[in-house]
Amino acid sequence: MRKYILSRMIQLVPILLGITFLTFGMMQFTADDAVDKIYEGSVSEEIKSAKRAELGLDKNFMIQYGNWLGGVITGDMGRSFISGKLVFETFAEKLPATIELMLVSILLTILIATPAGILAAVKQNKFPDYLIRALSFIGNSMPNFFVGLLLIYFLALKLNLLPIIGASVIMPALTLTISMGAKYTRQIRAVVLEELKKPYVMGARSRGVSEFTILTKSVLPSILVPVITLLALSIGSLLGGTAIVETIFMWDGVGKMAVDAILMRDYPLIQAYVVWMAIIYVVINLAADLLYRFLDPRIRYGENG
Amino acid sequence: MKKFLAAMISAGILISGCGGGNSVADDKNTFTYGTVAYGVAMENAGTNPHESYSGWSTIRYGIGETLFKFNEHMELEPWIAESFAQIDDYTVQIKINDAAVFSNGKKVDGEAVKKCLEHLIANHDRAPHDLKISAITADGQTVTITSTEKVPALLNYLSDPYGCIIDIDAGFDDKIVVGTGPYRAVKVTDTQIDLVRNENYWGAVKPKLEKIIVRSITDGDTLTMAMQNGELDAVQGLPYSSLKLFDNDNFKISQVDTSRVYQAAFNFDTPELQDLNVRRAISMAIDKENFTKVLLDGNGTAAVGPFPANLSFGDNAVHAAAYDLDGAKNLLAESGWIDTDGDGYVDKDGKNLELRYLTYTSRQELPLLAEAAQANLKKIGVKLNVNATDNYKTFLRDGEYDIFSKAIVTAPTGDAEYYFTSHIVSGAVDNAGHYDSAEISRLENELHNTFGAANRSALAVQMSQQILDDCALFYASHLRMSFVMKNNVVGFYAHPSDYYEITAELEKK
Repeated sequence: MRKYILSRMIQLVPILLGITFLTFGMMQFTADDAVDKIYEGSVSEEIKSAKRAELGLDKNFMIQYGNWLGGVITGDMGRSFISGKLVFETFAEKLPATIELMLVSILLTILIATPAGILAAVKQNKFPDYLIRALSFIGNSMPNFFVGLLLIYFLALKLNLLPIIGASVIMPALTLTISMGAKYTRQIRAVVLEELKKPYVMGARSRGVSEFTILTKSVLPSILVPVITLLALSIGSLLGGTAIVETIFMWDGVGKMAVDAILMRDYPLIQAYVVWMAIIYVVINLAADLLYRFLDPRIRYGENG
Repeated sequence: MKKFLAAMISAGILISGCGGGNSVADDKNTFTYGTVAYGVAMENAGTNPHESYSGWSTIRYGIGETLFKFNEHMELEPWIAESFAQIDDYTVQIKINDAAVFSNGKKVDGEAVKKCLEHLIANHDRAPHDLKISAITADGQTVTITSTEKVPALLNYLSDPYGCIIDIDAGFDDKIVVGTGPYRAVKVTDTQIDLVRNENYWGAVKPKLEKIIVRSITDGDTLTMAMQNGELDAVQGLPYSSLKLFDNDNFKISQVDTSRVYQAAFNFDTPELQDLNVRRAISMAIDKENFTKVLLDGNGTAAVGPFPANLSFGDNAVHAAAYDLDGAKNLLAESGWIDTDGDGYVDKDGKNLELRYLTYTSRQELPLLAEAAQANLKKIGVKLNVNATDNYKTFLRDGEYDIFSKAIVTAPTGDAEYYFTSHIVSGAVDNAGHYDSAEISRLENELHNTFGAANRSALAVQMSQQILDDCALFYASHLRMSFVMKNNVVGFYAHPSDYYEITAELEKK
């Protein structure tokens, strides 16, 4: 097990080198840089050149990348070209908000999608199933920014239940939950339906085991693996921030920070974001793989057999 | 499900600590202000005026003041300074108001101003290049500034937000500085500034509000709904389409023309555009009134030249050929451009008059202007191929354009020279049209050596008129800035400089 984890961690090194080099390279294709963005053409070339020299942008691409890599290896992620703040500090400021939003929306999603998915499967082709499928269809179809604006309009403006500019996590989390919940519900419904058709369920029914017991004792554990697969993807993407939702709800997380950094050509911050995303996906996928082995004996024994 | 949602929302209300949005904004001693113009992407997240564009936050939110300030005609008036005397072309003596004190109670004397300006020059990126200061001396309430070369607009530059006078000894911890304004910052983050009343404020009018919260809200729809919901007392930067929602008795709107202009430069390297008749015909075919009224929803004023009418050297002092489609067609015909093959476009030597119009999209009005120009010019038989791209610098660099349109603030410090030296004189970095006029060079040289606002204004008028006579560029519209506020807010006005927002006059009735 330890060897397995170690090998996965070692795989991270070429991934990080590859994607940071690619990102750095792609940034060079743009016609402007951070200095152009800072001054928007409103100052002389003399000032711009001095700023480029100060930020190291006057050096060639390989030297810039080498300097950045050298810094990272020694634990220095550099400073933001725009704010001048340490990149690490900037990340540390924005991450708690992103993690809070991720946790609340994942929790809400599970709490809503699990019973809804099971109910839709149990009541297949009956009214509750049609209703849940229709709602998930709508939830899946609506883009986040639209859901967010609708929530503000109804919950804040019309019903006056929640503040728009307060620091409440509820509206941004609900926005994310609506689209994620829709996907999860459909997935859970499909897995439960498949499970309910299996011979062991028919066997249990013929032995007089109640539907409730079948669902809670047999079916529910079986949906854990697909749900964890979905969760791994969702957590990864949520930890990368949700720029549009963060912008609409003024949620000061890493998503908006990343988009701002890209718009302003803030290379150190973009690079740090890319590293962060790579680490998240590798670590979360690893955690999911380990959880499968723990939760589903078939995977564990399958490997050994 | 309903019960569950209701429970979650109730929990959210408990977590957020307030049900319904407008409790804070209802408090008469607290002013909550939403703006799109504050944040890291705007380069002004902080209040240290010696850092990038943070001085805009220092001055806008009433934390700092400059030695001189601009009135509504963008003319200089004393502020922290009481008076000045131009000793010679290189030396100016400024007398500091004896009553001025920092918010920490410390007196603003010549030494404090000297220290602040020296710190500015040592740390700011643009200020040393603008001010060209070689020495500063202080004596009591007097500061004497000597420049390395003639800087006739020195006092204008000192009135740029970076010129806010702050107490250097008080430091810059947590992005907070000690200024002389009616409010002082107590908490500064990338998205919010919390201000409290400066109990030591030295001005004649004392600040009335106990607390001000400045919130960065970059999404236009959220900003609109927060204002509608009553959570904000005032907003800056609403989308044009939202403004009409506030055109009722519950709200007030303060509007002013700024010196941000939408302009288009003709590329003199394009053979067809070397003909004055063609440039003039195009300028005459642009329906500026309609563009401003319909496409900008009335949030602007049709422009004549580069500067708005509220400046002494602005649109009231210059003239350009009026919108006249028949006149434009005649000019084209005079130069041999006639539609001989009936395809709707004028041609000469078997070639249609077809031009490449380059612009960018990050200013929402520019693509609209491009489309308007395209439709307008079709009426006189000129084909415009629009290229609206944020990668426009590549096309500029490669010379792949015949007309380049952009938005620019032409007189940020109430003086015209910067616009001419950056955009108009031969070889200027932003002279995209490669316009080269001996008369402009002569006038610029004169302007550079002329002191006194009236004389400089007269020269600026001559230069603007020369540009218009040469039809080197056309100017479509001056942007109108709008502040929306609740009807109980008083003393909150949009200023043409875009510098002063929160002042001691601000209060909630």
